[in-house]
Amino acid sequence: MLFLQLLASGIQTGILYALTAAGFALIFGATKIFHVAHGATFVIAGYAFYECIQLGMWWPWATLVSFVMAILAGILMAVFIYRPIQRSEGSFFTVFVAAFGVSIAVQSLIQYFFGRGSVTVSSSLTMASEVIEGLYLAPILAVAIGVSIVLFGLVVLFLEKKNAGLGLRALSENPGLLEAFGLNAKNLTVLAFVIGSALVVPAAILTSISIGIQPSSGSKVMLISLAATIVGGIGSLKGAALAGLFLGIIENLVITVVDTQWSEAVSFFILFAFIMFRPSGLFGASVKR
Amino acid sequence: MINYILNLLTLATIYSIAAASLNVLVGYAGIFSIAHAIFFGLGAYAGAQFALLIVPDVLLASLIGAVVSGALSLLLALPALRVRGEYFVAAGLGLQMVGITIFSEAHSLTGGHGGLVGIPAATLFGFDVSSPGAFLIVCLVALLLSLAVIQILMRSSFGRALMSIRDNESAAESFGKNVPLLKTLAMVVGCAIVGVAGTLFAFNLAFINVESFTLEQSILMLAMVVIGGVGTLSGPLIGAVFLLILPAILTFIPFIPPTEIGTVQQFIYGSLMAVLMIFKPSGIAGKTGGK
Amino acid sequence: MSNVLLSVRGLSKNFGGLAAVQSVDMDLQEGVVTALAGPNGAGKTTIFNLMTGNLVASAGDVLLHGKSIIGKKPHRIAQMGIARSFQDLRLFTHMSVRDNVLVAVEPESWFWQPGGKAAWHKRLETVEKALERTGLSAMADKRAVDLSYAETKFLSLARILATGSKIWLLDEPASGLDLNSRNRFINILREATADGVTICLIEHNLDVMTQLADRIAFLDQGKKLAEDVPEKVLRDPELIAIYFGKSQSGN
Repeated sequence: MLFLQLLASGIQTGILYALTAAGFALIFGATKIFHVAHGATFVIAGYAFYECIQLGMWWPWATLVSFVMAILAGILMAVFIYRPIQRSEGSFFTVFVAAFGVSIAVQSLIQYFFGRGSVTVSSSLTMASEVIEGLYLAPILAVAIGVSIVLFGLVVLFLEKKNAGLGLRALSENPGLLEAFGLNAKNLTVLAFVIGSALVVPAAILTSISIGIQPSSGSKVMLISLAATIVGGIGSLKGAALAGLFLGIIENLVITVVDTQWSEAVSFFILFAFIMFRPSGLFGASVKR
Repeated sequence: MINYILNLLTLATIYSIAAASLNVLVGYAGIFSIAHAIFFGLGAYAGAQFALLIVPDVLLASLIGAVVSGALSLLLALPALRVRGEYFVAAGLGLQMVGITIFSEAHSLTGGHGGLVGIPAATLFGFDVSSPGAFLIVCLVALLLSLAVIQILMRSSFGRALMSIRDNESAAESFGKNVPLLKTLAMVVGCAIVGVAGTLFAFNLAFINVESFTLEQSILMLAMVVIGGVGTLSGPLIGAVFLLILPAILTFIPFIPPTEIGTVQQFIYGSLMAVLMIFKPSGIAGKTGGK
Repeated sequence: MSNVLLSVRGLSKNFGGLAAVQSVDMDLQEGVVTALAGPNGAGKTTIFNLMTGNLVASAGDVLLHGKSIIGKKPHRIAQMGIARSFQDLRLFTHMSVRDNVLVAVEPESWFWQPGGKAAWHKRLETVEKALERTGLSAMADKRAVDLSYAETKFLSLARILATGSKIWLLDEPASGLDLNSRNRFINILREATADGVTICLIEHNLDVMTQLADRIAFLDQGKKLAEDVPEKVLRDPELIAIYFGKSQSGN
């Protein structure tokens, strides 16, 4: 039964990873910007939700505020940080360092006002009940599964059907094509950040309800998103999401064989292995040296 | 008071060596390493063990620290330098996280979570050099030697080859540069030097544990290089001094509670990094460039 | 019939379903300038990449002095004597003009170069000569990123000159140059061929092709449609139709 229990928590963790990884992969895939400040969006969303609940807001409003804050953060970063850099020099190094700087600044800002420790939003969703003997599940798992299916469905539909969605896919591969269709690269970039940042919000909210959120959660989330994007294959949204799910499950199941302190390290061993032997990941385009 | 200042200067010197070594990777070779604290740690643990088990001679221990760190850097370099920048960064992050776990669990080598304590006082050829003043001089000499080595290397054909790779890897290759080999060599040099800094760090504190080698530390070192100015000799020094003095300055500002100084420091250098990249990517000491 | 320095036989390259290069044969002879002409997307740069080892051929062979170099790494091939320039130049932006050229004459990927002091002075001399030939001596200490457009084109050439390689693959080397600079450029290339260098040139400019090329190979959609002296190729009505037809609707 331990196995099933761990599998269940693995699925829950994996779904949260999948959402954040998909957000990162979407942004990177469309804009080629290595948005390492994605984790900052996560903590902003999580703490926004937490603070709103603390102030007594009804949870749907808090969720809305969380969405607004995250999307705003994404847009601000895209317009005020990444865009000026890409205009002047835009090397991988400068973009990366700037994004890193932003994520550190955000983390320390949150730490200053909320403290270093973990905060949790209490909710009945986390009350587990014994479903079958030895297996305790909480409704939050169902919520996570439901929300992610809906969100992924929406995103996939958008990317395949709507003009702007197709534009996002063309943005990285064939920017010249955009003008032909009357689309604007700048606006599409912002759109990528909007969707990518929005995907993070349910993950942040669910995390704050379940295991709690702390300022350093952002970098943890960032690392996993990065790992999942690479393992899943750069350029593949589906790959990043599946890899996120996979890493979450592995992280939990591996506890049956190794001590808990190694469980996170296992994800990075997997990342390493992929980088060395299959950099194109599970679903990505083949990588030139 | 005087000991406080001497200690601060010693730390500044040690971190200057670390920043200068990271600059070899980031500024000259264009290798974006986010795991430098791990190699700092390897040097610290190796040097400390040598001091504990054999003799606390600072020269020998530093050499051991350099060799261990440099050799183990091959573990990261050999596989990861064959792939694109983004992948290397991810691999580096992975190494940083895994490295911390290994440091925390390898009790026999690193003392686990508790770390290594009671590192004996530093000696040099039998003479005790552990007093704050004497040790500062030892560190300054180490800094000068490191800078000399770096300067000589970066002015040589090796340095030019690295810079050509940094500026345009495909062109460098088309002129005969063996890019993976050169990047590996740069990595070994950079990590060997930071290994020396790690050993000195261990002697200075007489105690080391995993907390000094976390991702935060790697990022701090990166910030020193970036803010000070990549690819210049003085840049990392400026960065190191600035970022180390910063918390000291912050203690004098009245409305910042002492427990929050670290947080404010982080906020400052995080924002500085972002702002600099927009307006002056070459850092404080760097030359303003064209596109 | 002079020596063939580099040749390709039945060279083909597929990307997924796309046949970028289809069974191309070509010989690059000592002292001869061969121009690769054809509309965009014809596979010209791909052929260069196949010759330099940046891409591996799907079929066919690349022979350097008669020996196959398929599968060799690009840096090895460069050391074996093939020098290549890029359409987007790819200069070492933050390095000085002199260092840009110096890098080209330091082949060893190690901490030091062989030969000691004497070899070092020789290398410096080679660099100075290359800078003189290309008229860049006065700005030897300027950073590449601070050069004017024309100066960057000449720097790209200086790097190639300095290598001493006998096989030059040049991708639109003189594009965008004013008439005087262009003539200066062409002279340098001519003198090189007099020294036995074989030049393969990707070019769109008809004037440059007529002035410089001894032979023109016309490519379209990966296939070599014709190779002959300029007078014949540039007057062939079918080729002209393809070239101008594609060039206008293309980019």
